[in-house]
Amino acid sequence: MRVHLPALDHGLMDPAPALYAIRIHGHLGATVLSAFPALAPQHHGVDTVLTGLLDRSALYGVLAEVEALGLDLLEVRQLTPQRKSPESDDSRSP
Amino acid sequence: MDGAGPRLIGRGDLLAALDRAVARKVTVISAPAGSGKTSLLRVWAGRPGRRHRLAVVGVQRDQHDAQQFWLALLSAVREASAPSGRAEPPAATPDFNGQAMVDRVLSELADARDGTTLVIDDLHELTSPDALAQLTRLLTNLPGGVHAVLATRRDLSLRLHQLRLAGELAEIRAADLRFSERETRELLDASGVALSDAGAALLHQRTEGWAAGLRLAAISLAGHPDPERFVAEFSGSDRTVAEYLIAEMLERQPDEVKDLLLRTSLLDRVNGELADLLTGRLGSERILLALEDANAFVVSLDPERTWFRYHHLFADLLRLELRRALPEEVPGLHRRAAEWFVQHGQVVDAIRHTQAAGDWRGAARLLADYSFSLTLDGQTQTIQALLRAFPPGVDHAELAVVHATVDLFQGRLDEAAAHLAVAETYAETPPPDRQRRLRVAIASLKLSLARRRGHFAGVLEQAKFLASPVTGPSDEDIALGSDLRVVALMNLGIVEAWSLGLPDAERHLREGAVLARRIGRPYLEVACLAQLGFASKIRPFATTRRRCNEAIALADRHGWGAEPIVAPALVTLAANLVWTGEFDEGERWLQRTERALQTDTGPGIRLLVRLASGMLQAGRGRRREALEEFSAAEHLRSQLEGSHALASQVTGWMLATQARVGLPGEARAYLAALDDERAGSGEVGNARAVISLAEGNPAAALAAVADVLDGTAPVIGYVTVVETHLLAGLAHRELGDQRAANQAAESALGLAEPDRLVLPFVMTGSAELLAALLHHETAHAALLADILDVVHGSSLAAKDQSSSPPAQELSPTELRVLRYLPTNLSRPEIASELSVSVNTVNTHVRNIYTKLQARDRSAAVQRARELRLLSAGLTR
Repeated sequence: MRVHLPALDHGLMDPAPALYAIRIHGHLGATVLSAFPALAPQHHGVDTVLTGLLDRSALYGVLAEVEALGLDLLEVRQLTPQRKSPESDDSRSP
Repeated sequence: MDGAGPRLIGRGDLLAALDRAVARKVTVISAPAGSGKTSLLRVWAGRPGRRHRLAVVGVQRDQHDAQQFWLALLSAVREASAPSGRAEPPAATPDFNGQAMVDRVLSELADARDGTTLVIDDLHELTSPDALAQLTRLLTNLPGGVHAVLATRRDLSLRLHQLRLAGELAEIRAADLRFSERETRELLDASGVALSDAGAALLHQRTEGWAAGLRLAAISLAGHPDPERFVAEFSGSDRTVAEYLIAEMLERQPDEVKDLLLRTSLLDRVNGELADLLTGRLGSERILLALEDANAFVVSLDPERTWFRYHHLFADLLRLELRRALPEEVPGLHRRAAEWFVQHGQVVDAIRHTQAAGDWRGAARLLADYSFSLTLDGQTQTIQALLRAFPPGVDHAELAVVHATVDLFQGRLDEAAAHLAVAETYAETPPPDRQRRLRVAIASLKLSLARRRGHFAGVLEQAKFLASPVTGPSDEDIALGSDLRVVALMNLGIVEAWSLGLPDAERHLREGAVLARRIGRPYLEVACLAQLGFASKIRPFATTRRRCNEAIALADRHGWGAEPIVAPALVTLAANLVWTGEFDEGERWLQRTERALQTDTGPGIRLLVRLASGMLQAGRGRRREALEEFSAAEHLRSQLEGSHALASQVTGWMLATQARVGLPGEARAYLAALDDERAGSGEVGNARAVISLAEGNPAAALAAVADVLDGTAPVIGYVTVVETHLLAGLAHRELGDQRAANQAAESALGLAEPDRLVLPFVMTGSAELLAALLHHETAHAALLADILDVVHGSSLAAKDQSSSPPAQELSPTELRVLRYLPTNLSRPEIASELSVSVNTVNTHVRNIYTKLQARDRSAAVQRARELRLLSAGLTR
């Protein structure tokens, strides 16, 4: 039995949630959209872009749902890239 | 549904491609949901004139437990190879041995005379990493003539690169599964849809040849008043294919069909009765059958067509629609389904639906009631998944019991204790009717914990609940109570036998075995019987042997002959054979014990193995080697938290052997540090005598054994006293009292006669003592002759030897190599599988040929099969 909700348990090591845009081919109707309650849909031409704040496990929950519903996934993009570790760290690496 | 739905069409090119693929060892069909994987497999499997036998398994949704998957696979393989199965149906075990299971499946596959093709559908549902790793091993070791076809939604991390390099891996992917325009046409024709060529082309283009889309469209198109308009509208829509077409299809169904599909979509599988229950109408079975006949994404799961499941993608979309269309009904539907599943004993489904209904308290109770039984069924991963679904703060006492059960079975003893403490703290909170059950569960778990930890003092206290009979309002309650009871009896018996040496052990273990058999728990029955074999050590040897053999035979029938669970019986039998001088046979059983203990196991059983090995070495006159084994056993003893029933035997023999190899000083030093209990035992008294004899002080030796001879020193069994008489005899002989020496030897023989003990005579070095007796009268001439044979270096033949001449024993490494011989792996491939050099493999193969007297690989395989060496469970 599958529960149509993004996974609830956040791993301890999970980084902070980030804003993601997930582009799917075709216009999603109300039925399929109800599988993604945490995401806001928007039509872009013949595609649908789902946008929302997701942590890593929620993101994979959404992707699993996309797979289960046989949707045509075109793109997954993070809109607010997370800050990298301080510069000094990079400069020390070989 | 008017019966004119889409048919499964032949798709000749694709079938030919699959035929070509299956010529390789492994075929992976990897494509997204709705690509037509299952349909392809069904058509392919259903074609007439197939030569290969098929073993078909569909992985259950969200399969967390490796064992459930493997049991299903084993059943399918057995059904394919021998429908009138000779072996017991595979039964679950609480400690699943994946390695042994793979060996078992491999040997069953190798035993089937014609080739078998293994078909595993929905493999992506298998979420157990262990199961996937085990599957990799199975796939890379398939015997000749066996092929596998795997269907999955996504590529899996199976490490099959070796097969790929060897050209033995074929793949069929989404692009291969896509319908061509011609096939689209054929599907429409077969479904009775009249559509122009242009219309068919448009449909093909809009669905991109996606199988699920075409089938959905065909259902709606069949009997549609204007198929061309349907296709044109569909083509003009921007909606996603599945959603658009499912909406269209539902729209065209009669209300009762639509209602049934929506309301039953929340079940993983459905039958007529359940569907009637959820729809509140009769006649659901007829609708389900019609839907399957129309091939409308409904598939029956059994040959009688009573259980059905929906295509996963279809079910997921229906479920979303149900939540949208009838949101207020969803919890009630889950509740009704849960009740049905409880009544029909399908607990995991029941708990999932109770959770989905939002009845967390009810779900917690169900899980607490059944967690013990589910664990015995090998479903701990499933329990953990169910536990994760609870929101925080639900029913502390009930869920703490569940956590404790899982922790205990997985060996996390401290966590188990912590959870039990929580359960006890909150044990007052549930209503009174729950409290008794909760207390029994807590007591039973504490008993298991105490046994595992070796805290024996608490065991008898916890076991008090056993005194009250199992009662309950239903058979189900009694069965649940019985699971707890069998395990409690087993734990109690183990502690009594291993630590306290109480005769009650036998009674409790026998009761446990009988009850286990009655409630259909073969694993627990084997466990109790194997422990009973060990607990019978004070019985006549014939009784002990019979009990051990009974336990081993039952374990063999279930394929657990090489599992730790049967080790107590194996090692007891080995020791028993060594006692009676049947050293070669004893050694074989000891080797089998070692193999059974390759995985887990505590110091208690290891101690027994070292002890029996020491006896064997001593019996063969290898005192230094014997000392090593006894010292190892003594070291293990010192690591035990509690006492061990054979502790004084271990210490006594270690000290005696030290003295015999010329280290009486060390033995004396160790002796001085012993606690009073062991120092006062008959076994240590014997050791003192041996030390004194080694020091040239026979009078002190006689003094050391006086307590044993007059019966005041506690002994483990009469076998100790046989040894005592012999040591006394040796001392008398040193002192020049031949008459007393002869009397002592005759007493020893008299005691040893009923069980025909040989070992004590050999161990004590009593050859000359006995030789003197030859010239006199003895009532035990036959035994004496046997003993002297052994003293002069031969092993007595086992009395119950099998008829076929035993092959020379293969070493464990040779056995490992042997298992690869039925596969078509080359020697370099075997070498890389085992991470050893080709030369090593060559050496092993040469030795295997010599030992099995085989000239080539196939002769070796045949001989190995005759000797049942290929199945890990049957090797000896």
